[in-house]
Amino acid sequence: MNLAQFLPLRIRFESQLAWRHLRSGGNQTWLTVAAVASGVIVVVFIMGLIFGLQKRLSSLLTDSIPHVTIRVPQGKPIPFGDTPSGAGTISSSLSEMQAPQRKNIDDWRTVLSVASAIPNVRAVTPAVFGQGFASKGANPVGLTVTGADPTQQELISPITKNLISGHYQGLAADEVVIEYQNAKDLNVGVGDRIRITSISGIPEPLRIAGIYSKGQGAGSAYVTLRTGQSMLSIGNSVNVVYVKVFDIYGADAVAERLSVLLDCDVKSWSSEFPSFVTSLRAQSASAYLISGFTLIASSFAIASVLIVSVQRKSKQIGILKSIGARSDQILLVFMLEGLGIAIAGSVSGAITGMAVIYLLSLPKQAPLRFGGVPEPVFPVTLDPIYILAAMGAAIAATVLAAMLPARSAAKMNPVDALR
Amino acid sequence: MNSAPGQLVIETAGLQKTYGGKVPTPVLFGIDLRVRAGEFVAIIGQSGSGKSTLLNILGALDVPTEGTVKIDGVDISTLTEDGLAMLRSKVVGFVFQQHFLLAELTCLENALLPIIIQTGAATAEETEWISKLLKRVGLEDQIDKSPDTMSGGQNQRCAIVRALANRPKLVLADEPTGNLDSRSGEEVFRLMREMSTEIGVAFVMVTHDERLAHQADRILLIEDGLMRQLTKEEHRLQMGS
Repeated sequence: MNLAQFLPLRIRFESQLAWRHLRSGGNQTWLTVAAVASGVIVVVFIMGLIFGLQKRLSSLLTDSIPHVTIRVPQGKPIPFGDTPSGAGTISSSLSEMQAPQRKNIDDWRTVLSVASAIPNVRAVTPAVFGQGFASKGANPVGLTVTGADPTQQELISPITKNLISGHYQGLAADEVVIEYQNAKDLNVGVGDRIRITSISGIPEPLRIAGIYSKGQGAGSAYVTLRTGQSMLSIGNSVNVVYVKVFDIYGADAVAERLSVLLDCDVKSWSSEFPSFVTSLRAQSASAYLISGFTLIASSFAIASVLIVSVQRKSKQIGILKSIGARSDQILLVFMLEGLGIAIAGSVSGAITGMAVIYLLSLPKQAPLRFGGVPEPVFPVTLDPIYILAAMGAAIAATVLAAMLPARSAAKMNPVDALR
Repeated sequence: MNSAPGQLVIETAGLQKTYGGKVPTPVLFGIDLRVRAGEFVAIIGQSGSGKSTLLNILGALDVPTEGTVKIDGVDISTLTEDGLAMLRSKVVGFVFQQHFLLAELTCLENALLPIIIQTGAATAEETEWISKLLKRVGLEDQIDKSPDTMSGGQNQRCAIVRALANRPKLVLADEPTGNLDSRSGEEVFRLMREMSTEIGVAFVMVTHDERLAHQADRILLIEDGLMRQLTKEEHRLQMGS
């Protein structure tokens, strides 16, 4: 079957001739396609590696923390001289933090409904959070206590998947889940009873329902919301509302929106880890730069090959013009030739690049934390968006590279070409 | 598409051509030429006398510095680049010293090229017409062959069919037998002469071969940028000298 019959008549001649050029080009065509493919492979590889690394670092950091934290407003610093006790006695250059008027979020249900209605918000969880220490006999260990509904808390900071033993879901009011390091320091295991005393000074005897490890050192002890409220003596209030978002880089916008809507202190994860965000951005910029330069380099190679090809075909261009081919038809022939090379190169490059990324993802290293699963040596990722973007950029760069020789072919004077 | 017998296909008046550059080089000085449909005209002259330049202008591949050139009644100076391309496509056919067939295409595809360039695809009728012409010039066995596998004479015959594909009114041949041995040259010339008569198309052939030129309807000599017509007797005497 002749596939050319399916092409529109307007471009049938140009497409057929471009295809014949590519077919008859032999090694030159293969080398040009390989140049585009190499560019795409490098871009897919670099993107896969750098964004994979970013994904791992980001997930290590942000998977286990809330993306936005809502607390009662902190007091503003005021000059000490302006306070009633300090007036006229001490220099006004000294200042102290105003004591907060509120300690808890009493109307947290309103906060939940406001936060849930904001786009990009994935989960909202009310919680109580405070300092305390755990003891078993005469062995106190400092820790933080988080009281929240286990199902909702899982959405904010996954515990179950990091459990070494025991359970978190279905946590009873007299149970607690503690971090592996704390369990080790206390020399306790699942089923043992410990006593946790919060800053309010109320000791709470709790049975260890589970032990988890995130590989990030000592972490919080998790109890139910009711137990947490009781330990901190805050009635039915909470002192923090956690928000998880879909797009972690959109957390700032969510935080800003919540600041406007709520009379609360709202912070996004990125404002708490600014240097981490900066380094991620620097990594992204490096990846884009390397990819850009790679594509530019392969474009130059392609342009030079196509320029030579046009020179070699100058007599053919002359004869085509002498028998009635218009300049725009000649331009289209060479542009389609470039497009053919671009499509073949980018598709083969993307397939090879994906294969390389897949092979790189296979080697595993020993788990970084106790009870963890083996992690890949190369934290690569295969994101269809980046692969399509790499293909699109390679096609655009190649077609642009083809434009210069195609234009010179179109402008060629037939008399000079045939001479 | 072919013209009625006797209809003017080419008409030039005071045609001059000077090549630019640091030192302008005049090549043609006031050429007046008329060629009618079905005529077979030979242009002879020394190398560098301006024969090919004249042929390029007559084929709308180049433009004169002075004077007018009408092809099929159209003043080429009034046409845009696309208009010139259209004129070349519909009215003019070219045969060059080298066949200039596209190596990527078969003999039949090469012969169909002027039609395909114009319309995107050849109709069954057009393909049949070209196949008949290829058969007429003895290439029926070469239709699906690549130019690389055909002889010089076969390629030039295919180039003649290509020049006739769009049923032009005028075929311009620039030393079409120059690269062929005498036997193939004779054969190609005979075919062009027969096509001119059979199809009624005007042929203007530049040649160095005085013997072939002598068989044309008219013989034009270009000397020092000027053109004059030779009678058969004058040409015979010139050949003898």
